[in-house]
Amino acid sequence: MQPIVDARGVTKSFGRGETRTTVLHGIDFTVMPGEITFIIGPSGCGKTTLVSVLAGMLKAEEGEVSLFGERIDRMRGGRLTRFRGRSVGFIFQQFNLIPALDAAENAGVPLVVAGERPSVARRKGVALLEKLGLGKQAGKLPSQLSGGQQQRVAIARALIHQPGLLICDEPTASLDAKSGQAVMELLRELAASDNRAVIVVTHDDRIYPFADRIVEMSDGRIVDDRRTARTAP
Amino acid sequence: MLSIALKMLFGDITKTIGLVFGIAFSVLLMTQQGGFFIGLISRSASIVLDARDVDIWVMDAATESAETTQPLRAVDFYRIGGVPGVASVAPLARSVATIKTAEGRTESAAVFGVDDASLRGMTDKFMVGTRDDLRRPDAIAIDVLGYTKLWPGAPIEVGRSIELNDRRAVIAAITDAQPGFSAPIIVNTRLSQAGIFSPETGTVPTFALVTVAPGADRAAVAEAIGAATGLKAMPSDAFAAMTLNYVIANTGIAFSFGVVIGLGAIVGVAIVGLTFNMFIGDLTRQFAVLKAIGLTNGRIVLMVLAQAMVIAFIGYGIGLWAASGFFDGVNRPTSDLKGFYLPWQIAVAAAVATIVISIIATFVSLRRVLRLDPATVFRG
Repeated sequence: MQPIVDARGVTKSFGRGETRTTVLHGIDFTVMPGEITFIIGPSGCGKTTLVSVLAGMLKAEEGEVSLFGERIDRMRGGRLTRFRGRSVGFIFQQFNLIPALDAAENAGVPLVVAGERPSVARRKGVALLEKLGLGKQAGKLPSQLSGGQQQRVAIARALIHQPGLLICDEPTASLDAKSGQAVMELLRELAASDNRAVIVVTHDDRIYPFADRIVEMSDGRIVDDRRTARTAP
Repeated sequence: MLSIALKMLFGDITKTIGLVFGIAFSVLLMTQQGGFFIGLISRSASIVLDARDVDIWVMDAATESAETTQPLRAVDFYRIGGVPGVASVAPLARSVATIKTAEGRTESAAVFGVDDASLRGMTDKFMVGTRDDLRRPDAIAIDVLGYTKLWPGAPIEVGRSIELNDRRAVIAAITDAQPGFSAPIIVNTRLSQAGIFSPETGTVPTFALVTVAPGADRAAVAEAIGAATGLKAMPSDAFAAMTLNYVIANTGIAFSFGVVIGLGAIVGVAIVGLTFNMFIGDLTRQFAVLKAIGLTNGRIVLMVLAQAMVIAFIGYGIGLWAASGFFDGVNRPTSDLKGFYLPWQIAVAAAVATIVISIIATFVSLRRVLRLDPATVFRG
């Protein structure tokens, strides 16, 4: 089976001269379809930089990065942006919803970006929000929603265009324990279906039971890569 | 993405109002001052523009405008009348006189002596009376703005007597003539009567007013008059344009208004540029999210440009509405700003300036969005 993510020897640095800091040291990393992979580690260990490189948001200085068999390290500009838009969904710690759009419009944004008419995108957004139990909140602005509701809208936005890879950055960090659990259950149910790969960057050990695999990083290196009890033979 | 762009724009209503105000203020300044400029310099050619019964103006070759006149000789009129295509020729004498009212008020006036027979060379717009009323003894016609300067608040009526260079004159008609550039009051009278008011200059014609024969080409006849007489002969519209150009070239008016209009544009760029920059700055994270989920830089440019153009359209509409309302309010027969209006060319120029201002503001603001690293969305 072809991996969804296949990174080889990825190295990334920031700064110049004496201030130059290498954040990723020759990382090898693969993610298979249907797999929920958690990336954990202390702050500054390179987790966010790694997912940024894997999503094509940052360019690695060395190494190869393939998504769905396509070498994204060789893509540039609009082609890379469009490829990312089609292939990857994102869930952020701060939700990052557009304040002026209601929940359904926020959910439908990736479809509009892909060229769908706003009215059609909104209708699909409403349908997905209903599946997520937010049908009554579809017309509300983000400021009128609770944190857990906003994160569910963000999940809808991440999934509405059926991406093959979902990247979640601290998806439960801004939520209380109950909302965090609910969000992870939703992610497991919806995101991991259809052989979609999910990468979750997190510090929240309460949600580790939702992982199929936990990759631990330290100082820009992968120091541990283990299957969890959920998937261990 | 247009609907998303507009919702993002109107989502921050305070900044949007600030942006619209900036554009509106800039447009108001440019169009109001532009209209003032046109209205003011147009006054220098008001006698030419008002005399709609004249095809060609003939004057001494040294004359450069309707305000700087040279005397013509009587023989010149015979020579002009002999040029093929000329249907009629009439004299017009321009002089300056002092008006004194019975109440003791004094004003300076431009006195135009028109041909006794044809009465050609004056406005055909009358508030009270008619052109033929000038045929009465001591009769003059005075413009309504001048009338209200002499008798503020008094009813607009004929029959009042005044002293014109210490000679009695009776107001027989009140015209709606456009004000002059150098004299605040316009008086029309017969040429023979003008000689009584100003014995030295009143009867000395400064212009020969020509009408052309039916079917004759005005420009060709003017050229033939020039060739036959050595005088300067110009169709009315060309003479008016020459007068305007003379005023623009020989006064600081154009520079002065140009500075104000330029400041209007600069203020517009500054206010709109800075506010739009702040507005886009506040949207940086939202643009980063959109970039992360697949929006290309090209489409972001279109989104921001659409936002800027909507602001420009609304601001321009408000600014133009305010300026046209101003001119509607002041362009009254008895207003000192009579004849000041908003030419469509100024409105078009302001529209172009507004678009340029908006495009500059867009690209100044866009630089950081285009350089924006979508990975910033991962930072808390």
